[in-house]
Amino acid sequence: MNKHLNLLFLATENLLRHRTKTIVVGLCIIAILSPFITAIAISEGIRAQSLASVNAGADLYLTFDEFGRNAAIPLKYLDEVKKIFGVTKAIPRIIGRAFVQNKLAVIVGVNKEDLPESISCISGRTFENPNEVVVGCELAEHFRLRINDQFSMRGQQRKTFTVVGFFSSDSSIWGSSMILMSFKDAGELFGKQDVATDIQIHTLPGHNSEIATDLYDIFQNEPYRLQDKHTVELYFKKGFMLKEGIFSALYLVALSLGVPAIMVASGFGLSERKKEIGIMKATGWHTLEVLELISLEQLLISLLGATVAILLSILWVKGFNGAFIAQFFVAEITLLPKFTLPARFLPLPCMLSFFFSFILTMAGSIYSSWRASTESPVVSMK
Amino acid sequence: MIKTSALYKTYNGRSRHEVHAIHNVTLEISKNSFVVFNGPSGSGKTTLLNIIGTLDRPTEGKVFIQGNDITSFSDIALSMLRREKFGFIFQDFHLIPRLTSWENVSYPLIPLGVSRKDREERAKALLEKVELGDRLDHTPEELSGGQQQRVAIARALVNNPEIIIADEPTSNIDDETRERVLEFLKALRYSGTTILVATHDTSFEKIADVVYKMKNGRIV
Repeated sequence: MNKHLNLLFLATENLLRHRTKTIVVGLCIIAILSPFITAIAISEGIRAQSLASVNAGADLYLTFDEFGRNAAIPLKYLDEVKKIFGVTKAIPRIIGRAFVQNKLAVIVGVNKEDLPESISCISGRTFENPNEVVVGCELAEHFRLRINDQFSMRGQQRKTFTVVGFFSSDSSIWGSSMILMSFKDAGELFGKQDVATDIQIHTLPGHNSEIATDLYDIFQNEPYRLQDKHTVELYFKKGFMLKEGIFSALYLVALSLGVPAIMVASGFGLSERKKEIGIMKATGWHTLEVLELISLEQLLISLLGATVAILLSILWVKGFNGAFIAQFFVAEITLLPKFTLPARFLPLPCMLSFFFSFILTMAGSIYSSWRASTESPVVSMK
Repeated sequence: MIKTSALYKTYNGRSRHEVHAIHNVTLEISKNSFVVFNGPSGSGKTTLLNIIGTLDRPTEGKVFIQGNDITSFSDIALSMLRREKFGFIFQDFHLIPRLTSWENVSYPLIPLGVSRKDREERAKALLEKVELGDRLDHTPEELSGGQQQRVAIARALVNNPEIIIADEPTSNIDDETRERVLEFLKALRYSGTTILVATHDTSFEKIADVVYKMKNGRIV
């Protein structure tokens, strides 16, 4: 036990003695791991938030189908849908996009009584009268909107709206650039009366398949599309995987440049180290003891590098709100997100980061150390 | 105590540049003796000491230490042998540059599990013995050649070895230190240590029990 403790202390002292090398290797590890840990944390945060939204949403989503894509559904079917046994609530919505000056906003038209519980006004009130809107916090901040301010939007036709409140949402990434208005106003803005982009159907547990059969009877020859929670969840995941894929591709390029750098840095002072290993062997050290010392040094530097990388990632997300990296995961946001970016730091990616840095540093040093310690001490000491 | 039998060491074997550093060396060294290998540069004395000291392996032949054929020993067994029986003094000192004197001296004790306090005490005692008690925290670059060699001597003694192998111990140091090293090795000899020295310094011959003259890898 004392031997291993001695080696651990010596490894620590060696890292302090070779300060420059320790700092360079540590910085390489941090430069490689920090973006990775930050990205994973943001990705996990968004995934968790989207799944929470799906879980809090409707059980079924009903739309029409046109060319294999979702299409607006006529409201004439709403009453029939509501009457189906097992349906507790059917909520028609209009979801679209429109420019407010040069910024694209998500327009959600829904009846006041059907507003989701996850949306709450942080100031002002919800819409009650025609042409009143409630605006998401990021948009409000971007345009410096205040209560009772008026602005116009062009959909199918130009309409002027009055801001009556600002809202925050549990799903910060979607809520931030959203404008909520009444179903009727949204229909007028987009020039589509008597249709909804979808109908959210809340059901009693275990009734979905019977409801689907009933809907089939209702629509007969009409092309309609019915999606359950699970399908929507899959869409979300698929979308994130695509975004993550873009990040992964870029990260891979950075990594392919970073790995040789860290391996070169780990091998700094190789000739001096080789000589030192020769002296160690000449004075009675075993090859395994030499390798244990080298491994402990790499373990300590990996632990140090990975810990600092994790702390920097937390600072990056919590302090700087994922600046410069969030755009890889959330569409159409600026370099500096104006809403609180969701993030989750899970233990597994942090552990993997540590192992990854350990393997990297080991790869840069263990082979040369093994070679030096298995050669005759005379050769290593030269 | 030490016996070699038809020892050969060849470098760059079977090539145009083949060098026979040791050629058919057979000798026997008894316990507590002071043996000097004398000869010009390139005569093979360092190579012979490296092989006897298990720092290198022979191309052919056998080396016996206390009756054991060490040429068949594994890497770990050779390390154990060095740890228990040998102490080395090198021509170039071979101190670790970033370590202080006491750390260099106590380095062989680290894998033995000796605590830092005990290591420091043992190193301090040995450094005082070689009159470097006031240079405990100096790194090799802060010491003269003679002082570095005395640190190396202290390191060679830290494991209480039965055999001291000294390769040109006086060639890189001044005359005054040379005398001290000589006296020190002489004193060691009377404390029961077997001492093997490779040198072309003739002053060692006066205190040696046996002197082997070497030329072109052979004992002449």
